[in-house]
Amino acid sequence: MGMHNTYTEQELVRALKERSDQAFGFLYDNYAGALYSIIKQIITDNSELADDVLQEVFINIWRKIETYDQSKGRLFTWMLNIARNASIDMLRSKSYQNSQKNRELPDNVYKGAVSQVLLQNVDNIGLKKVLEKLRPEHRALVELAYFKGFTHEEIAEMTSVPLGTVKTRIRNALLQLREYLK
Amino acid sequence: MNVKEYIESGIIESYVMGLASEPERAEFERLCAQYPELLEARRRFEERLEGYASENAVPPPPGVKMKVLEAINLQNNKEPARSPVALRIIAAAAVVLLIGMAYLYFQTRQENKDLTDTNDRLKNSLDTTRSILKKIVDEQKDVVGNPNVTVVNMVGTQVAPRSSANVYWDSASSNVYLVVKNMPKLPSDQQYQLWALIGNKPKDLGVFDATDDNVILKMKNTQTAQAFAITIEQKGGSPSPTLQKMQSLGKTLQSQ
Repeated sequence: MGMHNTYTEQELVRALKERSDQAFGFLYDNYAGALYSIIKQIITDNSELADDVLQEVFINIWRKIETYDQSKGRLFTWMLNIARNASIDMLRSKSYQNSQKNRELPDNVYKGAVSQVLLQNVDNIGLKKVLEKLRPEHRALVELAYFKGFTHEEIAEMTSVPLGTVKTRIRNALLQLREYLK
Repeated sequence: MNVKEYIESGIIESYVMGLASEPERAEFERLCAQYPELLEARRRFEERLEGYASENAVPPPPGVKMKVLEAINLQNNKEPARSPVALRIIAAAAVVLLIGMAYLYFQTRQENKDLTDTNDRLKNSLDTTRSILKKIVDEQKDVVGNPNVTVVNMVGTQVAPRSSANVYWDSASSNVYLVVKNMPKLPSDQQYQLWALIGNKPKDLGVFDATDDNVILKMKNTQTAQAFAITIEQKGGSPSPTLQKMQSLGKTLQSQ
């Protein structure tokens, strides 16, 4: 048994595809925190649902590792997208909606999402800390697209901003975001 | 195309963060294979994003790792890797086992059925035997215990000195019973015949075999008889006795 304390990304991917429990343990220890962070930025209600998503995400990583294609991006990028998609799915699930029942329901889903985004509390973590540095109209768009999972078309409709403008503003916001990721 | 401009359009961030549309993704992947500087820019942003995410990690709740490991172990045990050859051997063994079990099942069922049938037959046989025995006991009570019954001891003649039988004659009901004690075995075309002698005229009381020993034979009725005689006749009996072959003779009280 190889006593790996660390893996290069190549070695890690190969070991995972060979179904190494040890490599999977290493993967969890090294990435669970970063992925749990993105999950908590999307599922913001402090419920245990974020824990359930983290569990589901790692089970899916184990199941789907065969489909990971290194030519399309880094392993972390692939895992980050799995975590984001699973979190947004949870956001839209019945169990999450039920846990939100005692909260005030907006009369319009879109307006509710927009006002919720603009009234977001300041207790932000991770990427959301960087979002605070963006101009408000940029920040809201990234929030809706990245953290709420709305399509550009949906955002254009709910904010009454033309689709082309939405797309450009989101791209610009992401470019600014990149500059802050240091 | 102007790669620098493309890079500065924000497509890389959009692609990596999963916000690009499907056509945008396809185009980006195609161009990455074509322009190494695009690939390099993508790699740099990915590393930057990963680095930032790692620095801003939130410690995961304890217990999740154990649950994850348990779940994947269950999956691994559920689908153990097997070679097609091993699978084929297992499948073949399963078929053989199945056939064997089916055979055993039917054999056991057949044996069980046979035993049940035998048991039924034995039970029927026992019931028949019991009813016969009861009939015999009843008959014996009738014959032996009845005060009207006269026992006539038939003794051997010169032709057959050892022959012996008892006639039980109920003068009230005219019933005649015969108990064979010792009569020699006859050829299969011959039978013994019992006669009642009434004023020296014989009356046929029926035929019997030497093998009918130790049972009470019910013969034909007669109201009167001075004596009973047994002769050997052809099978089925004769209308009149062949007296030279008389085996046994017994006189009754009526003869006196």
